[in-house]
Amino acid sequence: MITTHDLTKIYGKVTALDGLTLEIPRGEIFGLLGPNGAGKTTTIKILTTLARPTRGWATIHGFNVVTQRLEVKRLIGVCPQELNLDRELTAFENLKIYGMLHRVPDLKRRIRDLLELGGLAERARDPVKGFSGGMQRRLLILRALVSRPQVLFLDEPTVGLDPQVRRQLWNLIQDFKAEGITVVLTTHYIEEAELLADRVGILSRGKLIALDRPAALVANLGGYAVESTCNGRRSYHLVKDKSEAVTCSLGEDEEVLIRPVNLEDVFIKLTGERLSP
Amino acid sequence: MNWFPIYYREILLFQRRLLRLGYVVSALFAPLLYLLAFGLGLGKRVTLPGISYLDYLLPGLIAMTSMTNSYTWVANGLTVGRLHFRTFQVYVQSPVTPAAIMVGQTLAGLTRGLFAALIILTLGLALGSRLHLEPIFLLALLLNCALFAAFGVIVGMRSRSHEDTATFTNFFIMPMAFFCGTFFPVNEMPWPIPYLIQALPLTHTNHLLRWPAYTTDSLISLAVLLAYLIACFTVGMKIIDRYGE
Repeated sequence: MITTHDLTKIYGKVTALDGLTLEIPRGEIFGLLGPNGAGKTTTIKILTTLARPTRGWATIHGFNVVTQRLEVKRLIGVCPQELNLDRELTAFENLKIYGMLHRVPDLKRRIRDLLELGGLAERARDPVKGFSGGMQRRLLILRALVSRPQVLFLDEPTVGLDPQVRRQLWNLIQDFKAEGITVVLTTHYIEEAELLADRVGILSRGKLIALDRPAALVANLGGYAVESTCNGRRSYHLVKDKSEAVTCSLGEDEEVLIRPVNLEDVFIKLTGERLSP
Repeated sequence: MNWFPIYYREILLFQRRLLRLGYVVSALFAPLLYLLAFGLGLGKRVTLPGISYLDYLLPGLIAMTSMTNSYTWVANGLTVGRLHFRTFQVYVQSPVTPAAIMVGQTLAGLTRGLFAALIILTLGLALGSRLHLEPIFLLALLLNCALFAAFGVIVGMRSRSHEDTATFTNFFIMPMAFFCGTFFPVNEMPWPIPYLIQALPLTHTNHLLRWPAYTTDSLISLAVLLAYLIACFTVGMKIIDRYGE
């Protein structure tokens, strides 16, 4: 169980995170959704002991992330947004050092199994600097798994990857749920959050503005979105049902797109801005 | 204390870089240049009472080389690893104590400094220099490497850019290399410089490497080096403990 209460982080005059209060039960895949600068990475940094909150507190399985850092670090695995692997070392060495830091028993076997799982077994002895971006991203996730974490933090794990690799990683993340691992996932990809997360929290300018199952958030909004472009101006309407959508689209001269509402529509409705860049 | 993974990683990286000829040459270029230019060139014209200039110079170069290599490896590695590659953050998010990080980094810097010092030592001996390789010589060399590696942690953790590290190097390391008795005796310099120089650790390393005898002066020098090591280690550990983004 992850619990945060009034979690706040202020950098100078900027409030990066503003009073985050939530509970994430064991075994849940929790998606933190928001545009760049919404406070997602700050939340991850605090929960993984890399940053200290200005106000409020957070616990992971009852251990405080500020006062019981060592206990927290024994429970977590972290896949950061940046590819912070040792590029001059091999894939095997990168995992080995991480495993040694976490005192993982039977480390060689664990590494071998993980490299098999991630499809990198044949490249185990190659320096990471020769890996593609997708391979490095996979290795980063595997590294976070070496210590058999009870809670896994994935900060924008699929950013910059091509769709095929992204789907491979989604399958991998879904497997974690079967193993009972709690996953905290930040993303600004709508389909990623909808597909993977049991619940999502939407952050905007440091504040949590919505928290529910993706389907429930979408259902609350209801219906369809009608998007059209006329003389270069984009118009956007939310309507209750398909017939209303068709009626709405009749007045438009240009191409009209009618589609079921999604999490992005929820985000636009709540904040007035788009989620994807 | 789980310091070994940190040391192991640094040594693996050191091994990889050793295979690059340019890296080794650039790390040892300055001391080799001093040894050849001053030791063989100037050395024939300069005389010191009871000792050849090459015999005087070599311990100084060993002290200087061990200082710069221990310090540079750790300070640059931490600055780049923390600010650019963000590999330092892996340590912070792993269940290791600040003391373990400090020990691992210091031992890695020590190994690197010792390696560079041994190359200069071997070359100097090959050129005909005579050194007194007493246990106290080795102890002083180890303390020198360790304390400057620990100082490198402080600089690496405090730097906000690569330029900051260069500034620390220019203001602390470079003056010590020239004014702590590496190239010439400092006791004839104008007042109060000799007293100020006595407070700097490299002066004491130079003293111990040149005259590795079990005298009161040597014991005081050892105590000074040890005190610097403890101070740098403690400060470095506190900085790591308070690290937050």
